[in-house]
Amino acid sequence: MTSNELLIFEKGNGKANKNFIPKMDIEGIDIDEIIPPIYQRAQLSIPDTPEIEIVRHYINLSQKNYGVDNGIYPLGSCTMKYNPKVNEITARLSGFSQIHPLQEENQGAMEVIYETSKMLEEITGMEGFTLQPAAGAHGELTGLLIMKKYFKSKKVKKSKIIVPDSAHGTNPASAKMAGFSIIELQSDKNGEVPLDQLEYAMKEKDVAGIMLTNPNTLGVFDRQIKEITRIVHKNGGLCYYDGANLNPMLGICRPKDMGFDIVHLNLHKTFSTPHGGGGPGSGPVGVVNDLIPFLPKPCIIKTSEGIICKSNNEKSIGRIKAFWGNFGVIIRAYTYILALGSEGLEQVGQISVLNANYLRVLLQKKYDLPYNRICQHEFVLSDKGLPNEVITEDIAKRILDYGIYAPTIYFPLIVNGALMIEPTETESKNSLDNFVDIMYKIYEEAHDDPELVKKAPYNTSIGRLDAVLAARKPILHD
Amino acid sequence: MLKLDFIPHNEKIIEEMLKTIGVNTIDDLFQDIPDDIKIKKLNLSSGLSEPDLLRYLKNLSLQNKEYSYSFLGAGCYYHYIPSIVDFIISRPEFYSSYTPYQAEASQGYLQAIYEYQTIISRVTQMDIANASMYDGSTALAEAAIMATIITGKNKVILLEGIHPEYIEVVKTYCWGQEIDHQIIKENQLKNEITEDIAAVLFQSPNFFGDIEKIEDTVRIIREKSQKCLIIQVMTDPTCLGILKPPGELDIDIYVAEGQAFGISPSFGGPGLGIFTAKQKYLRKMPGRLIGKTKELYGEKTGFILTLQAREQHIRREKASSNICTNQALCSLTALIYLLSLGKTGLKEISAQNFQKAHYLKNELIKISGYEILNKKPTYNEFMLKCPNIEALINECKKKELLPPLKLSKYYPELDDVALVCVTECNSKKSIEKFIDAAKNAVKNY
Repeated sequence: MTSNELLIFEKGNGKANKNFIPKMDIEGIDIDEIIPPIYQRAQLSIPDTPEIEIVRHYINLSQKNYGVDNGIYPLGSCTMKYNPKVNEITARLSGFSQIHPLQEENQGAMEVIYETSKMLEEITGMEGFTLQPAAGAHGELTGLLIMKKYFKSKKVKKSKIIVPDSAHGTNPASAKMAGFSIIELQSDKNGEVPLDQLEYAMKEKDVAGIMLTNPNTLGVFDRQIKEITRIVHKNGGLCYYDGANLNPMLGICRPKDMGFDIVHLNLHKTFSTPHGGGGPGSGPVGVVNDLIPFLPKPCIIKTSEGIICKSNNEKSIGRIKAFWGNFGVIIRAYTYILALGSEGLEQVGQISVLNANYLRVLLQKKYDLPYNRICQHEFVLSDKGLPNEVITEDIAKRILDYGIYAPTIYFPLIVNGALMIEPTETESKNSLDNFVDIMYKIYEEAHDDPELVKKAPYNTSIGRLDAVLAARKPILHD
Repeated sequence: MLKLDFIPHNEKIIEEMLKTIGVNTIDDLFQDIPDDIKIKKLNLSSGLSEPDLLRYLKNLSLQNKEYSYSFLGAGCYYHYIPSIVDFIISRPEFYSSYTPYQAEASQGYLQAIYEYQTIISRVTQMDIANASMYDGSTALAEAAIMATIITGKNKVILLEGIHPEYIEVVKTYCWGQEIDHQIIKENQLKNEITEDIAAVLFQSPNFFGDIEKIEDTVRIIREKSQKCLIIQVMTDPTCLGILKPPGELDIDIYVAEGQAFGISPSFGGPGLGIFTAKQKYLRKMPGRLIGKTKELYGEKTGFILTLQAREQHIRREKASSNICTNQALCSLTALIYLLSLGKTGLKEISAQNFQKAHYLKNELIKISGYEILNKKPTYNEFMLKCPNIEALINECKKKELLPPLKLSKYYPELDDVALVCVTECNSKKSIEKFIDAAKNAVKNY
């Protein structure tokens, strides 16, 4: 389908769907007597649209959208793995989906939360967890507030945090939201944290610690990780682990053993809950023993009377979200962990790394690989040396023409023209080979017919869009 | 022996791939990891087959009680969800996609979110709506922070009557950025507003059910300060089928919990943070925005993530918020819900909520010992002072009614007050059962 879809607002014919409203069985109450007209709105300009028009409109739109159920989705640092369908079934069990967060008979739900926390503790090595945060960045904020509160309780002033230049953009933004200023650390030529510079930065006044993702955004495992965390601890700091890249570490090694004190996970990455086109996610935060008192409210504990909220936690950072977190997402992750068990999770780590290295070895035959070594879950190519000044964006757009999705582009910032590729463990060899073939073909096209690549895509529902125009004259609704 | 659930390789293929890579074993790929931190095995149970998994989780779900009818709201509401809502959001092209970074392969979702922004700005009459925040509580906290950025002032005022959990979230966020806050009663507004206040945050209909005379609140604030932003929050925006929208009341930032728009309660999450503002604040707005644009080499109109220079992945520590993943699928849910109802349906359910709750109020005050504490008009929730609140709760349970909230959970001093919620889903029969429960709670104890 290549024609423009009308907006839904242009499709209604004024026929209302009365069948969605329960029949009113209480008569004779005049609305104006309950709520005087001065409180009432004059008009409401949303259309009445027949059900069939709504269904067709959104089925047609869905066909102009690409998900991991359509094919490979190699977005680096996004871990776009297959979302097992059984997760969708369990999340929709009415005993989970239809229960109220404030109802008393909730032990099934509390057990899901409690058991998921326990399993995440085992997977990361941490000693306490909160499942409250709604997404990865929300988890980062929570983790950093825990850090802030910890130092406050020690009555030491700590106002700065070290973030390497290879970090996810959320790291510095979250640090700022937690009231920290940022010391940016330049990665070395291997993409790792330079120890001497770290020592130097830690000697600055008021440094609270470091935020790190390992493997980092180049897909490189920092071999000096224990030394890094030791240096930070030695200087009175704490170490925060950005769990966006935890997938390859499942069952291989654990953030706690690397020396981290706080970790956030992304259930919508590592634990297979659907990304939903940008959420809802879930960003649980795990901590070591000393930091447990600072976890957000409500903290839950298991007692002889069941799983309940702990009441005496005056050191807590407070609430970071209403109710119990994104429970519907948590139940999906719980289902996934139960389905895989310990051996299954270990193989997730192994095969995600196998798949990434397989692609790395084949793609570096044509494309520049600035950090040339064994990678973990992902690796980063650059557009250096592409024929005829074809750039990363052109490659990404041309990939879409072959009916698959593009890698993450222009991130991490430390690689110019980055193409960041993470296949995940759920891609078959056929799927990986097909991706390689497409990348080779595009390389040839860049050589033989650069204009073709530079003006791509052609086979999508719409051609390359003008991002500058969109930002210059923002039109955000009809 | 490899288990290989959800992994499509067999052993032979793994061998081939290792050979291509040029290593002998998978372990060779982990050579960068120091041996002393490698673990042997995770101490978790073995994986479950799908039938065993479903049986286990079904049983677990049965430990949560499901009631026939609910009289509980307090931030999470039972409204009827049309069947087409779950049908459409279950399309894998939508739910298994990522944030639409590659616009040309994501036009379907981008258009849908553009339509969400449109329908939200129409329902609220606010100039602009973003693509979503996590929930109502975090949307309110981000609104407070946004106000401090816009005004350069460092203090916010919260009016009593905001959902108590939202107040706690705002406090936590404010503490993070060292923003002062103060919680006051409405009648203290005149005295507390100064030029140093970044924003006043209030909820209407408020946590206790009261619908505020917003024009009066706005006038008082504007008289005292031209700079101070006015932020309204709602926990059940279905009332906008009848009530005057924030865009007609000179509200600067309006946020809401959108769960009431077709999202199942799910123990309180995921919900939907609705976030809207006046046009002039566009560039300080947190969260994603979808904009309309044109093809570079053609004439067709399309949709794209826009104004990303506000966001963390470009601006890093200078971004207006750290939000990245939001609640996209919940925005889609709200969109389909609102379209299914249309203006006729939204008005109708809004009216039913008003009328059914009003009917129950009127019947309850006829029973001796009960009192309605609200002095202002209410929507679908109200405060009921009870002669014996525990008895009322027990009687409700006996009749398969999810009992109302004991307000003492949040306000210990209100130990005999229930917060009762009635929506369009409550039939007359269920309401009569509640009335019986209230009568029995007096008689039998």
